[in-house]
Amino acid sequence: MKKAFVAALLIITAIPLLIGVAALPPHGETTAPVHTHISARYLMRGAEEAGADNIVTGVLLNYRGLDTAGEVTVIFTALVAGLAVLITRRKEPGAKADSAARGDVPAPPPVSPVVSFVVQLLAPFIALFAVYVILNGHVTPGGGFQGGAILGALFIALTIVLGEGRTRSLMPRLALPWMQGAALISFVVVGVLGAGLTGYFLGFPAEASLHLVRELMMLVLEAGIGLGGAAIFATLFLQMEAE
Amino acid sequence: MSVTFDILLLLFLITTALAVARAKDLLAAAIIFSSYSLVMCLLWQHRGAPDVAMTEAAVGAGITTVLFLVAIARTTRREK
Repeated sequence: MKKAFVAALLIITAIPLLIGVAALPPHGETTAPVHTHISARYLMRGAEEAGADNIVTGVLLNYRGLDTAGEVTVIFTALVAGLAVLITRRKEPGAKADSAARGDVPAPPPVSPVVSFVVQLLAPFIALFAVYVILNGHVTPGGGFQGGAILGALFIALTIVLGEGRTRSLMPRLALPWMQGAALISFVVVGVLGAGLTGYFLGFPAEASLHLVRELMMLVLEAGIGLGGAAIFATLFLQMEAE
Repeated sequence: MSVTFDILLLLFLITTALAVARAKDLLAAAIIFSSYSLVMCLLWQHRGAPDVAMTEAAVGAGITTVLFLVAIARTTRREK
């Protein structure tokens, strides 16, 4: 009975969705609404207007800078919420002693020497690639988010292989909050700078003579997003791993 | 050829999605979900969205899986 009800509900939901998909213009049609409105302008003038050869970065940081600032805020809030949950649980009196007394916590298996060797061998190259992705985001695919995720993943891989003690020094206690908030801070700094230059928060100067300033603002944003993202991923991982 | 490749990837996506939903072993589910992300990454790349593909590979296949694994290690491996 319940299964039949669920199946009927699924079919009722699926039919309008499928009708809607069937009514979409064919993939790649040039007269589709998505190609005739604002994205046409992005593609035609984006490279010169937004100051980024990679149109995606131009849209993310210049045309839709405020949206990206909002996204960064969401990620930071997610970290704060995650930490709020994880830290309270960790500080629970007796929780640690309790699980140790039960003695049923299995010891972590030793890391395979092959994995350990390969991760350590590749680490500098991955780090270089991450920095390249962050700093070249306005030219090639990638940018702060992508590079930051690669950096965070590298940190996690190294923590698994080397142990927490040796990677923790990469996240100094005093600088850590600033690193976690780096994306927000860079958006505020660049936004205020843009306000001074153009009169709009997060405005980028459009004059050709100021293209170096524009590029520098983008680099600061990308670096901030990258560092902030990496620090947030690393903190979440360390906090979840910590007993 | 190109469309055939897309269709193959999409079929694989649907299969992995169903497998994740049906898996009772959460560790297996996390690993299958990681392969789902990897195929999704190929699909993004193939449809001309390299920026999204990079994010999918790093976040979806990499970090999310690790966080899932840590969460499973902290809790339990079996779905109740």
